[in-house]
Amino acid sequence: MMSQYWAQIRAVIRLEMKKTFLAKRGLWVYLLAFAPALMFGAHAFDVMRTRQYQHEVIAGHPVSRNLLDSIKPGMTMDEVQVKLGDPTSRRTVTTRRRTRTWLRYTDGESQYDFTFNDDELERISVHEIASLQEDKLIFATVFQFFFVRLAIFFGCVGIFMNLFRGELIDKSLHFYLLAPIRREVLLAGKYLAGLIATVVIFTTSTALQFWLLVLPYDSASVSQYMQNGGWQHLAAYLGVTALACLGYGSVFLAAGLFFRNPLIPAGIVLVWESANLFLPAALKKISVIFYLQSLCPIVAPPDRDMNPLLALLISSAEPTPAALAVAGLFAVTAVILFFGARKARTLEINYGTD
Amino acid sequence: MSVSGQEKTGPPPIEQSLVVFDNVSRFYGEVLGVNRVTLSIPPGITSLVGPNGSGKTTLMNLMTGLVRPTRGSIRILGVTPDDPEKLFRLLGYSTQFDSFPKGLTGSQFVYSFLRLFGTSHAECEKQAWKAIERVNLVDAANRKVAGYSKGMRQRIKLAQSIAHDPRVLVLDEPLNGLDPLVRAETIALFRELAAEGRHVIVSSHILHEVDMISDQVILLSNGYVVAEGKISGVRSEISEHPMQVLIRCNKPEALAARVFEQDSVVEARLHADKGGLLIKTRDADRFYRLLNQIALNGIEIESVAPADDNVNSVYEYLIGGEESTK
Repeated sequence: MMSQYWAQIRAVIRLEMKKTFLAKRGLWVYLLAFAPALMFGAHAFDVMRTRQYQHEVIAGHPVSRNLLDSIKPGMTMDEVQVKLGDPTSRRTVTTRRRTRTWLRYTDGESQYDFTFNDDELERISVHEIASLQEDKLIFATVFQFFFVRLAIFFGCVGIFMNLFRGELIDKSLHFYLLAPIRREVLLAGKYLAGLIATVVIFTTSTALQFWLLVLPYDSASVSQYMQNGGWQHLAAYLGVTALACLGYGSVFLAAGLFFRNPLIPAGIVLVWESANLFLPAALKKISVIFYLQSLCPIVAPPDRDMNPLLALLISSAEPTPAALAVAGLFAVTAVILFFGARKARTLEINYGTD
Repeated sequence: MSVSGQEKTGPPPIEQSLVVFDNVSRFYGEVLGVNRVTLSIPPGITSLVGPNGSGKTTLMNLMTGLVRPTRGSIRILGVTPDDPEKLFRLLGYSTQFDSFPKGLTGSQFVYSFLRLFGTSHAECEKQAWKAIERVNLVDAANRKVAGYSKGMRQRIKLAQSIAHDPRVLVLDEPLNGLDPLVRAETIALFRELAAEGRHVIVSSHILHEVDMISDQVILLSNGYVVAEGKISGVRSEISEHPMQVLIRCNKPEALAARVFEQDSVVEARLHADKGGLLIKTRDADRFYRLLNQIALNGIEIESVAPADDNVNSVYEYLIGGEESTK
């Protein structure tokens, strides 16, 4: 009997795959999934272009980092220029009271901006053209606040809700319901088809984002990062992506079965998941995002521009151990699918009212 | 051809050869779908006849478990529609829904459906092509269903419903959109399937077609079954409308004078071409016996045929002017 169920599940997956991957109405899911990759790609391109420009500049005006670090506030503009030569750029603003001048130098990796007030060096700003450390934090923030909470969330809305509700709207669900297939088996087949599709789309995007994250850096820095936790980070991000598809997929598959307009429950779940940061510790645990965040390898820094009153409302819960978080997500998924299967058993084809 | 799944040892219990509705009602909220339907449908071609909204499709959807009864119970050869695993190995349903899984060709459509049974690739291929051949759609089978004409879509749905060799076929308006030639071929296929001992349950609103193909009819109106059985049987039970008989003969006036001597004859009208007589009688059996005696008295009778022993008339008498078929 089990072998027959598997054969039926495979038949459902085969049919659903084509629809899920190649549907015109699913194009926006790809856009959503690959938007961060586009962003990291643009960043990588910009960093590489800037670095190339700085290298060209430094070829004409070679300045070492040691020399740049030897400049101290209080020096005059002439003293600085004697030591460093001509700057790569200069800007002067004169008012009635004083004259301010900015000189910019580079060693190819960092930009040094020297601010002079009436010929005396007042301030030194150093900006790295790119920092892997900083980019890792940006990656963590984009991953947790955009990719998981919005891209995967809405991607799962688009794919999993279509599995039943979309077919009811298209008036094609009866195709499955006229076959000698248990409704639970049909639900399992459709869920697995959606899961395969979302996992493939979103983990590909995660891997691509990660590759674009390290692309602008030299091989030595990348190799050092990868040997010191980079591979674990990549594995964790891929795992969280897959688990997000697993959890959100079950929620939206069930929503498509229970609700005539599944966008309403999707909105409610979005609000609940977004409010997770501010929920009491006990309530935090009744959400998918809580477990996913527990599994993220780098904690995303809180928004620096957050309203202080809102910041006061943030509550912290002990992060769940990885094994427990994974088990928790599987348990939540199983419970939701159980209720989904019960609903599927009594599902009627009544296209006129759907 | 053997009928799949049939018991080989001894006759099956009566219920296992019937489609049974036991006091079935179905409401859509406040709206009545069907009400208090009790039926036993034997093998052969059974037509569900009724206007739009009379409950034909609801009855078919109830039979196939696509909707559940609000009250009562249904058994298809002893199997409840709540058990799709068993039911759809016995039953094939060609719905009136005209949508298909996207991007499939005709053969892929039938093949994919068969794969849902858990059957192997080779077996599904074989069964799919056999069914496609049976509905005469081989030439178009590798084209996308989306590009099919209405008639071709009807035929590919029919192929899907017969592909697994079911004992019960439920076909919702299967002749809609078919050209006359294909229509004749399809009717012949229904007869062939019925002759193999299957139930072929067809809904139709084209009454002369129902007459041609049906072994029995179920007349529906406003969700109620108003009559069921063989058409002639149903007709003879409608006592308030005298039976009409058309007699072609050489002396219709003389025949009219003779038949009026009989109590049961209520009306005799000369046919427009003066070559026949239309009789209305309350006792057809007695009238036919009498006609033999009349014929002995110099009136040459060419033919005698019932003039209103058809679904159209039966439907008109039973449901009358209150509604008309679509």
